[in-house]
Amino acid sequence: MFNLIFIDLKQSIASYRLWTLLGWLEIRQRYARSRVGPFWLTISMGVMIGSIGVVYGSLFGQKMSDYLPFLAISLVMWTMFAQTVQEGSIAYINSATYIRQAATPKLIYVFQVMWRNLVILAHNFIIVLILLAVYGVKDWAVLPVFIPALLLYLANALWVAMLVGLLSARFRDLPQIISALIQIAFYVTPIIYRPDSLKRFSFIVELNPLAHLIELVRAPLIGQMPSLTTWCVAIGLAVAGWTFALAMTGRYLKRIPYWV
Amino acid sequence: MAFIELKGACLDLPIYDVQGRSLKKQVLRMGRRNTIAEDSDGVVVVKALDNVDLRFEAGDRIGLIGRNGAGKSTLLRTMAGIYAPTRGTVASNGKIVPLLDISLGMDDNSTGMQNIRLRGLLLGMTDAEIKAKTESIVQFCELGDYLDLPLRTYSSGMRVRLAFAVSTAVDAEILLLDEVMGVGDAAFMHKAQERLHDLHSRAEIVVLAMHANSEIRRVCNKALWMDGGRVRAFGPVEEVVAAYEQHVG
Repeated sequence: MFNLIFIDLKQSIASYRLWTLLGWLEIRQRYARSRVGPFWLTISMGVMIGSIGVVYGSLFGQKMSDYLPFLAISLVMWTMFAQTVQEGSIAYINSATYIRQAATPKLIYVFQVMWRNLVILAHNFIIVLILLAVYGVKDWAVLPVFIPALLLYLANALWVAMLVGLLSARFRDLPQIISALIQIAFYVTPIIYRPDSLKRFSFIVELNPLAHLIELVRAPLIGQMPSLTTWCVAIGLAVAGWTFALAMTGRYLKRIPYWV
Repeated sequence: MAFIELKGACLDLPIYDVQGRSLKKQVLRMGRRNTIAEDSDGVVVVKALDNVDLRFEAGDRIGLIGRNGAGKSTLLRTMAGIYAPTRGTVASNGKIVPLLDISLGMDDNSTGMQNIRLRGLLLGMTDAEIKAKTESIVQFCELGDYLDLPLRTYSSGMRVRLAFAVSTAVDAEILLLDEVMGVGDAAFMHKAQERLHDLHSRAEIVVLAMHANSEIRRVCNKALWMDGGRVRAFGPVEEVVAAYEQHVG
C-alpha cells in the first residue's frame, strides 16, 4: 500500500509543470479581465485586517503597533491553511473529468490546490511585509526561523488536504462538515486574540494543535522563538499526519476514479 | 515490444446514490443495522467487465465493437490504467496514451498557444516535446493568428481543430481511441484522416472503439466484440465484424 502511494507521490512531484499550470489557470480564471487581478485578494485581506484590527484592537485594549502585525500574520496564515483544507476537500471531486479521462498521478490534484493557495499567500503576504516595514521588525535574529516554520506549516496543511480530499470523494457531505469545522476552529484558535488572553480557559489553546501551528509561523515574525512544545507538536503532527494520509491514500488510490 | 495483457479481468463499478454518498447516513446506519427502513446502503454494483482474457501484441490494430453499454469504454479505461480491475490483472509494456476525450482540459481563458502546452502536459508530454511539436501543430490546425487569442473567442469547429491537432501530435506506443470524431469542414476532414493514419502508424498497438464498421474494416486487422462486459468474439476483423453485423441484423 505504501509502495503504490510512493510511486504516485514521485510521479506527482515529477509532473510539477502540470499542477503549477493548473493551479495558475484557476487563479487566472477567477480574476480574468480584471485590471488588479489577484491583487483583489490583497486588497480585501487588507481591508479585513484593517477593520478587525481597529475594532478588536480597541476592544482588547491593545497597542496598534503590536496588534496589527500580530493580527495580519495570523489571518494571512490562517486563511492559507483554511483555504487549502477547504479546497483540498473538493480537490478530487472538482477534477473528476481529468481523473476519469486520463491516467495521471492522483496527488497532482492536491498539489494543485496547495500551489494555488501558495500563490494567494504570496499575494497576501505583501500586507505582512508592509506592516513589518511600518512598525519595524522586532528581532532580526529569529526572523530566519520563519522559513523552516513555514515549510512545516505547509507540510501540515498538505496532509490534511490530502486526507479530506480522499474522504470527500467518497462521502459527499464531508466538504460541508469540514467548512463548519473550520469555522469553529477559527474561533477556538488564537488568531484574532492573543494565546495568553484566555486565562481560565487556557486549556482551549494548550490542547488545540492548530494554536501551535499558528504560533509556529507567527512567532518568528513578531520577534519570538516558538517554544519547544510548539516545535514538537508541529513536527509530531506532520510525521503522524503524513504517515496516516499516505497510508489511507495508498489504500484507496485505485478507488478514486470509481468515486469521483 | 509493446503489449497489453488482461487476465481474468473483472470490473465492478459501484454506483452511489445520495444515501451511499452521505457520511451522516453511514454513521447513523451503524447504530441500527437490520432495520427494514434503512436497509439499502445506497450502493449498486454494475458488472462492467466480466472475466476478460486478452492479449494484444505489437502490430495489432484492434477495432472494438459492440452495442452501447457493452463495456467498450470501460475496457479502454481499464487498459489505460484509469480504472484498476476489481479482480484479475492488467499488464502492459510501452507508453499508453488514451484519447478518450480529445478536448479534455482545454481552458477557455487561455490562448490557443497556452492550450497547446496545457493539453500536451495532460497527454504526458514533456516541455521539450511540446516545444518540438508546436510548429507542426500550428501548421496543421491552420488557425494562424487566432492562436494568440483566448479560446473563448473560437468557434466550436476551431476548438475541435485545435484539440484534434494537439491530441494527434502525441507519440504513443499503445494508443487507445474512443469514437473518433467528425472534425470540421470537408477539406479539414481529409487532412484529419491522413493525420489519424499517421498517428496510427507511429503506434505499435492501436485500439479503436467505433460504431462505423466500414471504418474498422479499413483500419484494423483484428476486431473484438464486446457484449455485456464479456468478450463475445476476438479474431480477424472480417470474421468478427461479419458475425456482429449478422447478429445485429
